[in-house]
Amino acid sequence: MAKPGGRHKWREALAGYGFMTPVILILGGFLLLPIGYSVFLAFHKVNLLGDVSYRFVGVANFERMVDDPRLWIALRNTAKYALVVVPSQTLLALLLASILNLNLRFRQFFRTAFYLPTVTSSAVLVLIFMWIYNANGLLNHALAALGLPTYNWLGDPAVALTGIMLMNIWSTAPLFMVVYLAALQDIPDALYEAAELDGANAWQKFWRITVPMLRPVTFYVVVMGIIGTFQLFDQSYIFSAGSGGPNNATLTMVLLIYQYAFKVLDMGYASAIAFLLAVVIMIFTLVQRLIFREERY
Amino acid sequence: MKRKSSLSLLALLMALVLVVSACGKGNGGEASPSESASPTSSGSAEPVEVTLAGWGASPEEQELLQQVLDEFQAKNPDVKVKYEVIADQYMDVIQTRLIGGEAPDVFYLDAFEAPGLIERNVLEPLDGYVTPEFDIDDFEAPMLNAFKGKDGKIYGFPKDYSTLALFYNKKMFAEAGIANPPATWEELREISAKLTKRNGDRVEVYGLGQAPELARQMFMIQAYGGRVVDEQGFAAFATPEGEKGLALVVDQHLKDKTAAQPTDVGAGWGGEMFGQQKAAMVIEGNWAIPYLESTFKDLEFGTAEVPTVNGKKGTMAFTVAYVMNKDAKNKEAAWKLISYLTGKEGMKTWTSKGFALPTRKSVAAELGFDKDPLRGALVAGASYATPWQAGPTLPIVMNNFNNQFVAAYTGQASLTEALKTAQETANKEIEAAR
Repeated sequence: MAKPGGRHKWREALAGYGFMTPVILILGGFLLLPIGYSVFLAFHKVNLLGDVSYRFVGVANFERMVDDPRLWIALRNTAKYALVVVPSQTLLALLLASILNLNLRFRQFFRTAFYLPTVTSSAVLVLIFMWIYNANGLLNHALAALGLPTYNWLGDPAVALTGIMLMNIWSTAPLFMVVYLAALQDIPDALYEAAELDGANAWQKFWRITVPMLRPVTFYVVVMGIIGTFQLFDQSYIFSAGSGGPNNATLTMVLLIYQYAFKVLDMGYASAIAFLLAVVIMIFTLVQRLIFREERY
Repeated sequence: MKRKSSLSLLALLMALVLVVSACGKGNGGEASPSESASPTSSGSAEPVEVTLAGWGASPEEQELLQQVLDEFQAKNPDVKVKYEVIADQYMDVIQTRLIGGEAPDVFYLDAFEAPGLIERNVLEPLDGYVTPEFDIDDFEAPMLNAFKGKDGKIYGFPKDYSTLALFYNKKMFAEAGIANPPATWEELREISAKLTKRNGDRVEVYGLGQAPELARQMFMIQAYGGRVVDEQGFAAFATPEGEKGLALVVDQHLKDKTAAQPTDVGAGWGGEMFGQQKAAMVIEGNWAIPYLESTFKDLEFGTAEVPTVNGKKGTMAFTVAYVMNKDAKNKEAAWKLISYLTGKEGMKTWTSKGFALPTRKSVAAELGFDKDPLRGALVAGASYATPWQAGPTLPIVMNNFNNQFVAAYTGQASLTEALKTAQETANKEIEAAR
C-alpha cells in the first residue's frame, strides 16, 4: 500500500511551519538572540563606548560578584521585598476576590474600583505615593490630625523600601484578584451545599473547600508574584531617582543591573548579574513546583 | 449576503485610505527638502544640519538659548541647528547614543563627567579649529582646564559656570537683630541657632539648609587638608582631616539641630526650602537667583560669600562645556556653532539674563556681574572655588559617598564608619572595573 497521505502530511507540516515563521523570527530575534548574546557577554569584559573591545575573561565576572557588597545588598533587598510582598498580595487578592464573590450590591462598581490601580501606569502610581509620603504630604497630615508623630518617610533608609512594598501590594493585588475571582466562580456550589448539610460554618467552608480548590491558581499567583517582584525596577528607580538610595535601601537587582549596564557601561558584568538573577528566579520557581505539586485526579 | 459584502467593502476602503495616507506622507516628506533648497542662489547646496543637545531647564532659559541659536543661524545661513532637549538621565542617554552612533554633533558636557568621556576617545579635540579671533586666553583658566585631556588637548569650551554662595533671608536677619551675614563657620552656627524657630517639638524654620552630597561638600573635606581622590583615582576622603570638615556639617544637624536637608521639610532642593522660608540660610548657586525671583517674588534675600572654614575661603564651582562628537559629519559647521556659542557675542547674549555666569573675562567685565548685588558674591568665589571634578573615577566615588553619608547624616552610623565604608566600597568598585 502506498504511504497513506504522505505527501499530504508534508504539505501540512510546511503550511504549519510557514504560519509559524513570523513568530519564530520575532521570538528568535527579540528573545532568544538577545538572551544568547547576553550569556555570551557574561563571559567577556566588554567596552562599548569609544574603542570597542571584547576580551574573554572566563568566569572572572562571576568571581567578581562574590566580593561585590552592593550585589548582596541588592539581592537581600529584593528577597526581603519578594518575601513580604508576595504573601501579602496573594492574601489580599484572595480576600478581595472572596468579598466580591458574595452577592453584594454595587458589585460591578467595586470590581472596577478595585481593578483601577492595576491599569494605572506604575510610574504615575509611584509619583502619587511620593507625594503622599512627602514630609508635607497626605500621610503626615493625617498622622498630625490624629496627634501621632510625623516623619520624613522618604529620607529614611529603613522606611523607604517598606513604602515601595505597600505601594506595590496595593497596585498588584487587584490583578490577581481578578484571577481568583474567575477561579472562585468555577468551584461547584454542590460542594458548599454538601458542607452546609454536614454543619460547616463559613470559616470552615473557606478553609476546607475554597482554599484547597484554588491550589493551582494560588500556585500561578505566587509564581507570577515572585517573578514580578524579583524584576522590580521602575518603582525603585523613580523613588530613588536612579541611585538606589538612601544608603542602598531601595537598590533592587534590576536597578543594579541598570546601573552597571548604562551608567558605568560595564556590559559584561551586568550580563553576568542578569544571568544570576535568571538562575535565582528559576530556582524559586522549581522549589514552588515541589511545594504546590498539582493533584492528579 | 448583502450586508456581508458591504461590510467587507467598507473594510477594504478603510485599508486603502490608510495605505494611501501613509504613502502620501512619505512622498510629502521627501518633496519638501528639495523645494527648500532651490531658493538659495548663492551656489552652495542645501544648508548643513548640525544637531545640538542639552538638558532641560526653565522655560525662560530655553527661550534664551533659542534666541542665541536664531542669532547664530541668521549670521550663518549655510548652517541649520536642530536643537534637542534630553529631559532626564542626560549622561545615560548621551553615552548610549554614542555607542549606537546616533549622538548629536554638539552637546553639553558637565565638568564632572568630562574626564571619563574624554578618556573614552569619543570627543573631537578642538585645538586645531581655534583661530586667534576666538581668543582662548579670555577664558578663566580653571574652567578651561577642566576640559583638557591628559594629552593637553582641549576637548570643549566652557559656556558658563556657577559657584556656591550663602543665601540669607533679610527679613529673618532683621527680626533677629543680625546685621551682617556670617563670615566664619563658627559665626554661621551661632547665627543658625538664633534663627531656628521651634513650635514645641517641631522645628518650623531651620537656621541653615544643607545638601548632604559630595558635590556640595567637597570643599568642606578639603578645608582641613583632606582630599577626595588620590593620584591613582582611588577614594581618599576617610582621613581625620577629611572628617573634620564634614563633622561640622553633620554635627550642626544632629547635635545643634539647627540645620536640615530639604526632604526633612518636604522640599525638593535648597532653593525651594529657602523660598518656602523653612530655612533662613542656604548655600546654593547662581541658578537659585532666577528661580527665587520668579517663584517667590516677595522674598527679600541677599547673598554673601560662603563663610570661611579653618580660616580659609572655599566654595564649589560647576561648569559646563560644549563638546563635539568625534563622529560628527560636518565638523566645520559644528565648530562654527561651538565658536559662536562660546564666543564673545554668543556668551554675552546667553549670560545677559543672569541664569549663569560667563567664563570669558571680557564678557564678565562688560556685563558687570561682579558689581551686581546678588551675583557679586558668586563671582568673587570664582577665584578660590574648587571645580567639581576629580578624574574619571569621581562618579563612582560620589555614588558611594552619597550613599553612606546619608547614614551618618541621619545618625544611623558614625561619621568615621560611614566614610570608611564608603571609601572601601568605592575603591573595590574602581579596582574591579579596571
